Amino acid sequence: MTAPVIAPVAVTAYQCVSAAGDDVEALHAALVANRPCLQPPRLFELPFDTVVGEVVSPLPAIRAELRAYDCRNARLALKALNQGGFRAEAERAVARYGAGRVGLVLGTSTSGIYDSELAYMHLLRDGAMPADFSFMHIQTAQASAEFLHRELGLEGPCYGISTACSSSAKALGAAQRLIAADVCDAVLAAGVDSLCRLTLRGFHSLQLVSAEACRPLDAERRGINIGEGAALLLLERATPDNASKPRLLAVGESSDAHHMSAPHPQGAGAAAAMAQALRLAGRRVEDVDYVNLHATASALNDRSEAKAVASLFPSPPPCSGVKGLLGHTLGAAGAVEAVVSLLALEQGFLPGTCGLQQPDPACPCPVIAAPRLDVAPKLVLSNALGFGGNNASVLLEAA
Amino acid sequence: MDRMSLLGYGVCAPDAALRETLPFAASDIVREAIPATLRRRSSAATQLAFSAAAAACGQAGRSPSSLPAIFASVAGEIQTTDLLCRELARPEGVVSPNAFHNSVQNTAAGYWSIAQQCTQPASALAAGHDTFAMALLEAWCQLACSGGELLLVCYDETWPAPLDPGRGEPAFACALVLAAGDVAGRLAHIGRPERGGAEFPEAWRAMAERMPALAALPLLDLAASGGKARAVPLSAAVSGWQARMNCDD
Repeated sequence: MTAPVIAPVAVTAYQCVSAAGDDVEALHAALVANRPCLQPPRLFELPFDTVVGEVVSPLPAIRAELRAYDCRNARLALKALNQGGFRAEAERAVARYGAGRVGLVLGTSTSGIYDSELAYMHLLRDGAMPADFSFMHIQTAQASAEFLHRELGLEGPCYGISTACSSSAKALGAAQRLIAADVCDAVLAAGVDSLCRLTLRGFHSLQLVSAEACRPLDAERRGINIGEGAALLLLERATPDNASKPRLLAVGESSDAHHMSAPHPQGAGAAAAMAQALRLAGRRVEDVDYVNLHATASALNDRSEAKAVASLFPSPPPCSGVKGLLGHTLGAAGAVEAVVSLLALEQGFLPGTCGLQQPDPACPCPVIAAPRLDVAPKLVLSNALGFGGNNASVLLEAA
Repeated sequence: MDRMSLLGYGVCAPDAALRETLPFAASDIVREAIPATLRRRSSAATQLAFSAAAAACGQAGRSPSSLPAIFASVAGEIQTTDLLCRELARPEGVVSPNAFHNSVQNTAAGYWSIAQQCTQPASALAAGHDTFAMALLEAWCQLACSGGELLLVCYDETWPAPLDPGRGEPAFACALVLAAGDVAGRLAHIGRPERGGAEFPEAWRAMAERMPALAALPLLDLAASGGKARAVPLSAAVSGWQARMNCDD
């Protein structure tokens, strides 16, 4: 092991609301059962057939003082905050370090645009946006970050990162740097994205949306499914006090410099991001026990990423992708799948690849179809690769 | 790291009236900064960002292909998003594939990395009225953790009227090339962004509240004038983000 470039941080709490259910226990159960959670959209109608990873349980109301932030995205974030004691852990960090030393970085692709779409229908019908519509509080990439920041009374730095599907993986990197640079003692890193017409109809226009449940890495795949979710991770400086908690070691980042909506065909950017994560953490490829693939079930993306793994690892570890279970949660995917990886580390299993029947021979990495409950990984890479050739790879380690 | 070095900066202000009031040089959109293949189909946001970024790299004498980049914008590709939202509000509305992938917040960052053949990380962030302040803080953290140099670009095109009447204009972009620690040839030192009481200049406050990218004006003013060490405000909002800046030593 070489010396790490960046100090690891402890993940002292994490929570997730997704199509698999309202908390990490529900997500864990779905992962172990390899149970698809996709169904036709209920939130709005579409002029084509697909299934989505929708959160169908009720979302909490935003309190009156913060009503300007009220949108589906903020409600998803609030629902995750209220699950399983996460809010109490965040409040403990504020009490311990002081509100000014706790920051918040949130990754999202489309923020509250679902509610903007409704406002535009109002505009077309009545000639004006709804009176209570607030662009800065709902639609901007920082809106739901600022909502959570105010909901928790934080006074540290607060911003949104929006680099398409790598957004919240990069938010984890930014959050780690805030602690490593001694700007903060704790940072809430989040990924939140909600279903909206823009992404569903946009990906459909790119002919990427599958009518049926998606089949990542499968020879017969027919495209992607969109999902939604909110994942929250509380990061704190690593100390002996939190030695029983898993560690975020590093986030590797790179650009393909190739194409706006297609990945580098050989996966050069994805390989660079994974290599960078290992370099920053002072670890070797041989140390990695499992790779949580981005694996969207688009043929170009799957093959590019598999080639990246094959080029980086002389002997690749088991790989899998969970979008056949949850759908692609876009800007939230990096944080959602960091939570999936943390569950793998803490519960001792490897997730399967829901929907995989016939592995694509053009994907040269060892993909596992069914979950493996007999393997306890210690070091996991989780990839998030996005539009604009924007790549991030998150390296997490068991306590 | 106790300070970073400002190696160069660039400013793009297409509004001629604004350019005349600025105490430093600013350009209109620079066609040569945008690759020919992008000129027709790129947004004002992307063109603004490219114009300022190219000028900053030029002044710093740095090749853009080697610099990690932070692109910061309150509203991103908001004109494209507005058009898409109008289409989506109609039952028969059509979403074009190009408009869709050009609507992401990291459109400028993505095209920049492609145009410059830069495989370094490129981020895209937003923080409302604190967008410039948080971008400078993100730059600080990247340099403190990894050293080296980077490009910071803060930009916003004019926002479409229905979204935020009375705000989001005039369009503006600025770019900074920053290095960790002391670097020969620096224009200034900049300290860690922090909370403080530095007052935003009254002359610019109303305009910067309308267009948050203009929160960079006090820092650019000091960089251009070479004034004495002081704390410069990084936000026109009440959040109090500031950084100490020194052009003397």
